[in-house]
Amino acid sequence: MTDAAQLSTSLRRGTLEFCVLAMVEREDSYGTEIVRRFGAERSLATSEGTVYPLLSRLRRVGWLDSKWSESPAGPPRRYYTLTDSGRAALQHFRTEWVSFRQTVDRLVGTEA
Amino acid sequence: MNRTDVVGEYLREVELRLSGLPLLQRRELLADLETHIATLRAEQGAQSEGELIEILERLGSPEVVAAAAYEEAGPRSAPMPGPMPGPMPAPVPPPTAPAQSAGSGLPWWLIGLVAAAVLLFLVGCVGLMFFAQTSGTDAPPPAPAITRVG
Repeated sequence: MTDAAQLSTSLRRGTLEFCVLAMVEREDSYGTEIVRRFGAERSLATSEGTVYPLLSRLRRVGWLDSKWSESPAGPPRRYYTLTDSGRAALQHFRTEWVSFRQTVDRLVGTEA
Repeated sequence: MNRTDVVGEYLREVELRLSGLPLLQRRELLADLETHIATLRAEQGAQSEGELIEILERLGSPEVVAAAAYEEAGPRSAPMPGPMPGPMPAPVPPPTAPAQSAGSGLPWWLIGLVAAAVLLFLVGCVGLMFFAQTSGTDAPPPAPAITRVG
């Protein structure tokens, strides 16, 4: 793994899951849609297939719920919903993230 | 039926690498991937082998997907609980998975080398101190005498 890839892997770890939670905060979304939106974010540089294990873990820890639903075209879709504990986790992350980001910006010299 | 062959082969390659995962997680991931591919095929009308390969490339190689599955499965599924002084410190230990994610952390030979250097240095220090002490005990008589006189 190159240094650049290593860095982006480290940066994603611990933050990507909250991006997933935020994606289904307002509206339920199905797997392929969530994955596709990640794929469109170039700076996340995620292999789309790696999002599914992440969704699985978030469901197992109880932050997401999922249910299968028929689709107008193609196979049934698996829709993901934010649970109450997922919502609380996302809220907690938002608070932590802001102070974390401000500290890193100050220390690294990337303040606006 | 060449196009389904590509998809089937991909899924088999992923499955081969998931043998260390709990059964339900393995099945879930394979179903998710299969649904993903089928959904995109239906939505985009992807039929040609080229289009299918593009979908698979965006999913990532079986190695990358399997590595993510082990990482997200947590420490319980990692069948290597104790510390093992092997050359691969990666937490992705399924026997069928290639050592793709190795390379993080310090190599063992480097740690050994540093430890050896430190040990040598310490031995050297002790030796020097011992030498200084023994030559010091020989020297005292004239030295204090001079300072007292001066």
